[in-house]
Amino acid sequence: MSAQKVQAGAPDGWQRGGAQAVRRRIVERLVNVLCAIATVVVLFLLFSILWTLVTRGAAGLSLATFLHSTAAPGSGGGLANAIVGSCEQTLLAALLGTPVGMLTGIYLSEFSHDGKIVSFVRFVSDMMLSVPSILVGLFVYLVVVEPAGHFSGIAGTLALAILFIPIVVRTTEDMLHLVPRAMREAAYALGAPGWRVIVSICLRAARGGIMTGILLALARISGETAPLLFTSLGNLNWSTNLNAPMASLPVTIYQYAGSAYDDWVQMAWTGALLITVAVLATNIFARWWLSRNGTASS
Amino acid sequence: MNTLTMDNRPAQARLAPAIAIRNLDFWYGENHALRGISLDFPTRQVTGMIGPSGCGKSTLLRILNRMYDLYPGQRAMGEVLFDGRNILSPGIDVNVLRSRIGMVFQKPTPFPMSIYDNIAFGVRLHERLSRTEMDQRVENVLRRVALWGEVKDRLNASAAALSGGQQQRLCIARTIATRPEIILLDEPTSALDPISTARIEELLDELKQEFSIAIVTHNLQQAARCADRVAFFYMGELVEVDTADKMFTAPHEKRTQDYITGRFG
Repeated sequence: MSAQKVQAGAPDGWQRGGAQAVRRRIVERLVNVLCAIATVVVLFLLFSILWTLVTRGAAGLSLATFLHSTAAPGSGGGLANAIVGSCEQTLLAALLGTPVGMLTGIYLSEFSHDGKIVSFVRFVSDMMLSVPSILVGLFVYLVVVEPAGHFSGIAGTLALAILFIPIVVRTTEDMLHLVPRAMREAAYALGAPGWRVIVSICLRAARGGIMTGILLALARISGETAPLLFTSLGNLNWSTNLNAPMASLPVTIYQYAGSAYDDWVQMAWTGALLITVAVLATNIFARWWLSRNGTASS
Repeated sequence: MNTLTMDNRPAQARLAPAIAIRNLDFWYGENHALRGISLDFPTRQVTGMIGPSGCGKSTLLRILNRMYDLYPGQRAMGEVLFDGRNILSPGIDVNVLRSRIGMVFQKPTPFPMSIYDNIAFGVRLHERLSRTEMDQRVENVLRRVALWGEVKDRLNASAAALSGGQQQRLCIARTIATRPEIILLDEPTSALDPISTARIEELLDELKQEFSIAIVTHNLQQAARCADRVAFFYMGELVEVDTADKMFTAPHEKRTQDYITGRFG
């Protein structure tokens, strides 16, 4: 206000814009406040979920959770079979999906002069990104479980891999697109053949981003329940046999949370806490990795 | 043979040209970007290429190492003679060609690896050297571009941490490490500060003892300072080529005169 008074005698350049300028300031303030409120709501939801999980889940957490397999209601037990089953299926899915996804991403990014095929493959891959995961489970049920006659860990692995691949395809392609054209040309100008440019220069430049994509995809599939219901089914006993039904954390949570037994419900909360912590840790690690190893340009 | 060369220097100019271009035409799809170019690049001299943006000078440079091959729809017709063969002919191994005709780009493009590996990468493509030989090669080229003193204690550090001028000298070191006969430079100093620019220009003076150099530049003073001969391009045509002295004092063509006095471009 005082600034305006100093200017009072002048033809008042500070009043430029008049009502419009006032409205602009009000809108600016309003949008700021709305953004702040939205942020608080999102953070509140996130932390209330975390808080609920920690308070309810930690109660059932003990060494036995990691050492004992699931047991009948009232007889204790742990989640060891589910933890190991989850790890086995997600890691195998990642092992299967990473090369397929990366090679497809490389094809889409580096062989784009194939025109129609490339846009078709990209279209299919983008479709797969948004296919409901339960459909993937049903698909694997039809092509693997039904012909084999029984549920199996390998079927669960395949279903997870199908969800995993398109995420890796997308990140690989996006990260390779960020590699400057000048860097590729510089490598070609030294007399490097195409494959060498892709492997030694482009993939190297994009490795931070691709690694992050793989970790985020891993976090994503480790929480999937629906595709496992019709494929690996779940197993109450300890089993690492891929050719037999296999337990997993999400499916165990699904089964236990809906049960009538207090100790099973408690176990479901504990499992939920474990999986959330694992996913959160993977996400944080992935972001830390990206910030350390930089994006394509650095 | 010397269609447009009127060099009256003794000895040097009488060597066979490093590259001889004859009736070269180039198309970006339907766009006829170069028309009927005939030009010699004398051995162990600096040939400067000037002209307004879009005149075709960079295009010409990118033909000399077949860089245009990377992009479908671009094609060249005519002859570019290098070491007894037409490099435009399909039988040429472009990877060998590019190891013999090196290129430095407008922006420094360090690879995402260590300073040492930036240089070793190109060498490993064409030669199998022992560890000691490679160490020597790396040290040798870094000394030649006057970068050794600045980086000798951090050869394993990422090249991305170097300053722009240092990166560009590293790119030149990387290029000469594969022992080319010709070096093509596409506006190599346009992204650099004046001091870095001066150092690169000094470097060119030294490098022409050993290499034939073709440099595209928008900086006329740079062309006057560095080039022995200067070629002026306009709208896809080679207007005039002569010694740097003559081009900047007494050009034959009015278009050259207009360009160097700043009337267009």
